[in-house]
Amino acid sequence: MALHVSSAPPISAFHHLLCFFFHDTYPEMEYASSLQRQLASMKKNLFDQGYLDEQFYQLEELQDESSPNFVEEVVTLFFRDSSRLVANIDQALQKYPQDFRRLDNIMHQLKGSASSIGAAKMKNECTSFREFCNKENREGCLRSFQKVKKEHAVLKQKLENYFQLLRQDGPVDKATRSGN
Amino acid sequence: GHLVGVQRRAVEEMEEVKEEGEEMDVNDCGGGGLEVVRVLVVDDSPVDRKIVEMLLRRSEGIFDVVSVDSGKKAMEVLGLNEIEAKPPNHDDQKIDIVLTDYCMPEMTGLDLLKAVKANSSSRSIPVVMMSSENDSERISSCRAIGAEDFILKPLQVKDVQRLRTYTVPIGPMSKRGSKRKLPMALIAKSNGERHAPPR
Repeated sequence: MALHVSSAPPISAFHHLLCFFFHDTYPEMEYASSLQRQLASMKKNLFDQGYLDEQFYQLEELQDESSPNFVEEVVTLFFRDSSRLVANIDQALQKYPQDFRRLDNIMHQLKGSASSIGAAKMKNECTSFREFCNKENREGCLRSFQKVKKEHAVLKQKLENYFQLLRQDGPVDKATRSGN
Repeated sequence: GHLVGVQRRAVEEMEEVKEEGEEMDVNDCGGGGLEVVRVLVVDDSPVDRKIVEMLLRRSEGIFDVVSVDSGKKAMEVLGLNEIEAKPPNHDDQKIDIVLTDYCMPEMTGLDLLKAVKANSSSRSIPVVMMSSENDSERISSCRAIGAEDFILKPLQVKDVQRLRTYTVPIGPMSKRGSKRKLPMALIAKSNGERHAPPR
């Protein structure tokens, strides 16, 4: 019986072929590619919604096989350091009279670190805070600081979710390893 | 498995580069290959230190990095600390270039620059300033004191690649440190012009 092969085999034929050759790994491959789609979508949203900017890509460019977790390490370091700075600002805001110069110095550090990891929204809120500092506007500082804290918390959660998913994705070769 | 093998190869390659560096005369400028440049990074921000260290390490293996979190510690490394004076040519502390943040608590980058340039044993070491503020007065004052360059943060790959040019000797009789002062990056004048970072 001659096997008729059309010029455009139906998709179902490929599906069966994939299942035949990768019978143990096809579900894993599907899962891996679904994970990658989720990651790509997450990252796109982080950029589209203004949480991250180009500088984050710069960090990713520095990551390589000898430092495979560089970006996550930098981000973790950022949140450890920034939490300390936020706490310092919180304390400084409670004091009276207000030391605006000290407040500005601490916020300058926070803004710098945020800029270094590409945390765009945080950076912008830090800038607003400093403007209120320069005008010695305590009420403005207090309102602005609430926004800084909010952006800090939101970004922290989003990046934690992102890196958690990234860890699940793992190295590329895991997706093609046959199951037992 | 695979990752361990990659890491092992990376370590082996680094050791080869280190061995080659040790064999070379550090004052050799006869075209026998690139010397490793020892950079002292000074920045109170742990995030920025980590990023700058990685930028330097990724620059084709030509930088050896020592990093500290304060101007005071930088003075110790450079042997400028009055209490713990070190011999000026002590190999372990030989620094080819200082890359320092401008804004730091207690001892600022500007204070460090002044100290380096005021001391005969360290005056020839090029000092490059980093800052997140594009302040023309700040740039001018650093230049006047002898800073080689003033780079806006966050640093990019091109910024660290250019560091090497501040340490290249002119000829065989030249001492360490550049006699050829490259024009300061007048970022204030160019209004923050920067190459688009690569993706």
